[in-house]
Amino acid sequence: MKLTVDGLLVYFPYDYIYPEQYAYMLELKRALDAKGHGLLEMPSGTGKTISLLSLIVAYMIQNPHHVRKLIYCSRTVPEIEKVLEELKNLIKYYEKCQGEKPSLTGVVLSSRKNLCIHPEVSREREGKLVDGKCHSLTASYIRERHESDNSIPICQFYEGFNREGKESMLPYGVYTMDDLKQYGADRNWCPYFLSRFAIIHAEIVVYSYHYLLDPKIAEVVSKEMNREAVVVFDEAHNIDNVCIDSLSVKVTRRTIDRSTMALQQLEKTVAQIREADAARLTVEYEQMVEGLRHAAMQRETDAVLGNPILPDDVLNEVVPGNIRNAEHFLSFLKRFIEYLKTRLRIQHVVQESPAGFLKDVQARVCIERKPLRFCATRLSSLMKTLEIPDPSNFASLTLITHLATLVSTYTKGFTIIIEPFDDKTPTVSNPILHFSCMDSSIAMRPVFARFQSVIITSGTLSPLDMYPKILDFNPVIMSSFTMTLARPCILPMIVSKGSDQVAISSKYETREDVAVIRNYGQLLVEISASVPDGVVCFFTSYLYLESVVGAWYDQGVVASLQRHKLLFIETQDSAETSFALINYIKACESGRGAVLLSVARGKVSEGVDFDHHLGRAVLMFGIPYVFTQSRILKARLDYLRDQFQIRENDFLTFDAMRHAAQCVGRALRGKTDYGIMIFADKRFSRADKRTKLPRWIQEHLKDSLCNLSTEEAVQICKRWLRQMAQPFTREDQLGVSLLTLQQLQSEEQQEKIEKQVIQK
Amino acid sequence: MADDEQDTKEYRWETGYEKTWEAIKEDEDGLVEGLVAEFAQKAARKAVVPRRGPVRLGMMRHVLVAVDCSEAMNSQDLKPSRFLCTLKLLEKFIEEYFDQNPLSQLGLVLMKNKRAEKLTELSGNVRKHLKALQGLTDMALTGEPSLQNTLEFAGRVLKPLPAHASRELLVLFASLTTCDPGDINTTIQALKTEGIRCSVIGLAAEVRICKKLCQDTGGEYGVVLDDVHYRSLLLDSTSPPPRARALDAGLVKMGFPHSAPQTNQTDPGTNADPPITVCMCHLDDGEGVGGEGHLCPQCRSKYCSLPAQCRTCGLTLASAPHLARSYHHLFPVEPYEEVAYEGQAQYCFACLRNFTDIDKQVYRCGRCHEFYCWECESVVSTTLHVCPGCASRPHLYQRLPDSS
Repeated sequence: MKLTVDGLLVYFPYDYIYPEQYAYMLELKRALDAKGHGLLEMPSGTGKTISLLSLIVAYMIQNPHHVRKLIYCSRTVPEIEKVLEELKNLIKYYEKCQGEKPSLTGVVLSSRKNLCIHPEVSREREGKLVDGKCHSLTASYIRERHESDNSIPICQFYEGFNREGKESMLPYGVYTMDDLKQYGADRNWCPYFLSRFAIIHAEIVVYSYHYLLDPKIAEVVSKEMNREAVVVFDEAHNIDNVCIDSLSVKVTRRTIDRSTMALQQLEKTVAQIREADAARLTVEYEQMVEGLRHAAMQRETDAVLGNPILPDDVLNEVVPGNIRNAEHFLSFLKRFIEYLKTRLRIQHVVQESPAGFLKDVQARVCIERKPLRFCATRLSSLMKTLEIPDPSNFASLTLITHLATLVSTYTKGFTIIIEPFDDKTPTVSNPILHFSCMDSSIAMRPVFARFQSVIITSGTLSPLDMYPKILDFNPVIMSSFTMTLARPCILPMIVSKGSDQVAISSKYETREDVAVIRNYGQLLVEISASVPDGVVCFFTSYLYLESVVGAWYDQGVVASLQRHKLLFIETQDSAETSFALINYIKACESGRGAVLLSVARGKVSEGVDFDHHLGRAVLMFGIPYVFTQSRILKARLDYLRDQFQIRENDFLTFDAMRHAAQCVGRALRGKTDYGIMIFADKRFSRADKRTKLPRWIQEHLKDSLCNLSTEEAVQICKRWLRQMAQPFTREDQLGVSLLTLQQLQSEEQQEKIEKQVIQK
Repeated sequence: MADDEQDTKEYRWETGYEKTWEAIKEDEDGLVEGLVAEFAQKAARKAVVPRRGPVRLGMMRHVLVAVDCSEAMNSQDLKPSRFLCTLKLLEKFIEEYFDQNPLSQLGLVLMKNKRAEKLTELSGNVRKHLKALQGLTDMALTGEPSLQNTLEFAGRVLKPLPAHASRELLVLFASLTTCDPGDINTTIQALKTEGIRCSVIGLAAEVRICKKLCQDTGGEYGVVLDDVHYRSLLLDSTSPPPRARALDAGLVKMGFPHSAPQTNQTDPGTNADPPITVCMCHLDDGEGVGGEGHLCPQCRSKYCSLPAQCRTCGLTLASAPHLARSYHHLFPVEPYEEVAYEGQAQYCFACLRNFTDIDKQVYRCGRCHEFYCWECESVVSTTLHVCPGCASRPHLYQRLPDSS
């Protein structure tokens, strides 16, 4: 249908629209008009993606000078594929209505692993290996060498692209990964480089967060995006963690050993070259003198080692004299690694600031701050000079240079923690150096500064006001939408006590209590007896999961559970978990019914959807607080308190509740779906926890559902399940939660939608 | 209070929470009476599923009813227990079924402890089924049911039956899980290709495999809300389903038996008593020896009740009234139109009762334009199957409804 959103003609490729989609578009348009950033929460399964796409595309077509580009960032490959599918739909609809394709190009960018069509390279399973092999076929020096010596293999697809591809533009249309591969295979062009090249000009780019947030990659890939762009971060509830991870480094003893080996190899190569072709090293030295930036006329294929720091912080200076010479640089690195090695030889936990660390380096091994800052660039330049064909062997060494550069660049918002052993195994010596970023806004800031509008959206962003604080930006719009439903298809409940009236809670003091564990077991058994098909349970940690399951086994809970359903358990081994998942699905499909025990923050809680029969009920055993004894977390909490005035408890609750919401949100993936959400912990019923749940859950969490005992909950479940099982058709939804164009345009509806958007 | 309800095994405080008051709201005058009447009318209305236009119906049906006898049947959310409630309703169902489909046959299967057990053979004998059902009340309910075994069993029983009759399975399923020996999906596929229609009535919640079974085989899937809803779901399945794809159209040979000869009809020359013969339907039990009965016109085997299928020659035996009773399915009364009562008529055309304030809605026949009260409407649509107004006007009577 064609609808007008605040004066903008929007093509919407479906015949029906949800009221909240319309409201979402209204808000989104306001953000675009204001050229500011936005924060929008809308439950999953209500068509966020298509609302975003259709509005922004319409905006782009009608205001080509305001918005030139849409950068859509999503988390995983399947999510990216889904976005492209919707985009294709939309473009097809435009074509049908207007008779011609709109002059838009939509391109996806993914890793080489997903896009490579080289017959041998693409056979590799691991991303790093593909990258390495590709590099060994396409690096500029390899290709130069190929010109003199035909026996050196190169990649025909890259060559093909290099010869012809750069002159031509991709025809208008949307290209998924398969389309790109097909397009590349038809013309003998490399799809990866084709898409790398195409995203510069394409109007719509879909890729993963990392291409924008991780400075190592962003520098290489996303440098040339222009300012008049809208950036969308979908499923962005974990965006602060992504930011932090992209700037943090973890060094173990293994890293040190590997990098020492790599260093030795480099030394050998340098010595060889010194004998054979000293001129090359001299040329590099000269370049260093002239200034690295200028010297690095980087070719796209060589730039596999990006700089770990943000573009604004890169020094535009000449590389300092003491590391210009290759040998000097290597011995410099050696000293630094030796230093790290001594630092790892400790008995107790050390925490220090980057400044303190730098001072210590200076005092102990006489390394100054400035050369450290150039470590990463210097290494990548050296690797290029040495013509290292496959840089994947040098990953550890690269990591060390990243650490050197980061630690010497940033003094604020970072901390260094050296732990002699893992907290869980205090007897085994396993020293780790964490260089950890505590401020998620550091990685985000350049994105906010560079692009006109950044939209952060997800199904679970509540409480919304936390994100502007921790990401340090000023949103022009900030809204949370609920689901308009024709029937109450979610049933959230807070179970706070067992049948014996003992309060259930996973808080530290009571979590080992037999009565609590038994009550949890009792709850699960009763639920699994009255809920059909699949039931998913989330525990707060693997440790807790193991101890509870052990206790259940002794108490006979497991046996009575298995009379109703099969039992599957998520483990830390991902292969084992995916095997368990497959069988879980099988058990649900065949009518046997199954219970899946998994862990909040685990793989299952983030990536897997349990729609319809796969997740008729989700149980959250306890509040999934992050492991509070972790020193990194403590440091981050301190930092947040000092810098952003966020109280520790607020942040912890916020983090726990967003994970809880994420977990229970797995059950509902659409309006025809239905699911029970049980929060089994007394503490959930407190106002500070309850109010932090997303609005669409809170709305259905009535007071009468807040303080239930096990059997009360089971009774409510049974009745509700019966009601939900009654036939439900589209006609039932029409006019309430599903609108036609006429219904949408009716004044009454418009008013309702206006009211629905509650500004927070 | 508990004293006068001695049969129920549970106390009031053991039952589920029932907020009966929530459904009742006062009208403008603060009264609830009119509203209650409206509820009753609505419920009665709901029972009638409008069927449009001339559709071909499977009038000769073979239905297997599988009853879950697993542990889940012990639950007391239907009173007095799921199992007893099911048995009670099933009796009604069987009577109603044979009333609506006199030419059809029915068989009962028990889903007991992962096996499917035959309770009664496919037959048209109402009494036999009822008797078998009554013997079940004290059965111990244990273990889990197996849907697959039941389906396999139903497939085996229904497969050899002639293709002109519909073949159906109705499962009353209380359990939320099924314990199967193999892949149930292949069984469902096999039933689908056989054209066996499977319907399920769930007693607890929607189970995905049942939904899939019904979708694939073209059956109905319902989940009961309470015993009233359960009853209406069961009774809904008594009316014949639209004709399935795999049914052959063809002429069916039928016999209309005459009664066994009386003494005065026998050859007076021999002057002997009528021959004592054994009734074919009671052959196994060793009973049914007597003089009277219906004789198959083809092979002269004797049957004590009709309709039946001749055991000797396989002829379908029926009497003319049976055919007549099935007839209304072909010419259903068009559902009446519901209109708000604004004094259109003084009294109900059928029962001549004066319309009063309680009648918020009255019903109008689309053909004869007469008005009826809700009670008559339900009688006409469920029992009578003939519109009194149309029947009294020959030009309207016995015409196929408009196909539009």
